[in-house]
Amino acid sequence: MERRSFLKAGATAAAVMAVAPTLSAVDHRKAQPDAWKAKNVKDAIKALYGTDATVNEKINVKTPDTAANGGAVPVEVKCDGDFESVAILQDTNPESLVIVFDQNEASIPHYQIKIKMKQSGSVYAVAKGKDGKLYMGKKTLNVALGGCEG
Amino acid sequence: MRIKAKLKGDVVKVKVMAKHEMMTYDIAQKKTGSRDNANFITHWDAHVNGKVALDASTSQFLSKNPIIKFEFKASPLGAKKGDKLEMHWVDLKGHTKDGHTKIK
Repeated sequence: MERRSFLKAGATAAAVMAVAPTLSAVDHRKAQPDAWKAKNVKDAIKALYGTDATVNEKINVKTPDTAANGGAVPVEVKCDGDFESVAILQDTNPESLVIVFDQNEASIPHYQIKIKMKQSGSVYAVAKGKDGKLYMGKKTLNVALGGCEG
Repeated sequence: MRIKAKLKGDVVKVKVMAKHEMMTYDIAQKKTGSRDNANFITHWDAHVNGKVALDASTSQFLSKNPIIKFEFKASPLGAKKGDKLEMHWVDLKGHTKDGHTKIK
């Protein structure tokens, strides 16, 4: 369904497809542009999934308790179950959303990435289950040196 | 782009390191005086045998020279040792980069 609305977006979407002729199902930056502009986690989840009602289970977010360098904070997200997509967010940068992984039948929802964090705060992972529910995990950490100052 | 992919059992573990500045709007403003100079990878995908192994949309907040580690099940994609794993990313300015590795 998301793909259809994406295709219906018309000329801009077509131009984007021409630039990036990949087999990917959804480019969430084009399909839900508002989610990437949202200034807080709740708004970003709402813009991405249409609701911000989350259940705090099934998702495990791992980071160091203290990150020495906010420019590259290691984040590990492990989800237990079947999901349609997994998103990672944080609440310290100007915008919240960091990454959205689409899931297919081959996907294993276990990811490790490095992110920037401006100051101490929390990292969130939200996954949309195949049962339609949103599952969330959270980890709060200290950041010694902020990573958005360059 | 450096990629490593290893098959163990039915799981392929992949580590991707991309070379990219990942300049945020704030840093662009500070360093160049214009937010318009911001540039970062916006979409990643990986394919094996023409099927999608990874599909990720990203924002400016991945680290500089970002690293993504991910896993996928080999059997739905028919992935075997020696198969080619193709990676592709595109950034905000429309630059793209392709890379590939053999699954070990």
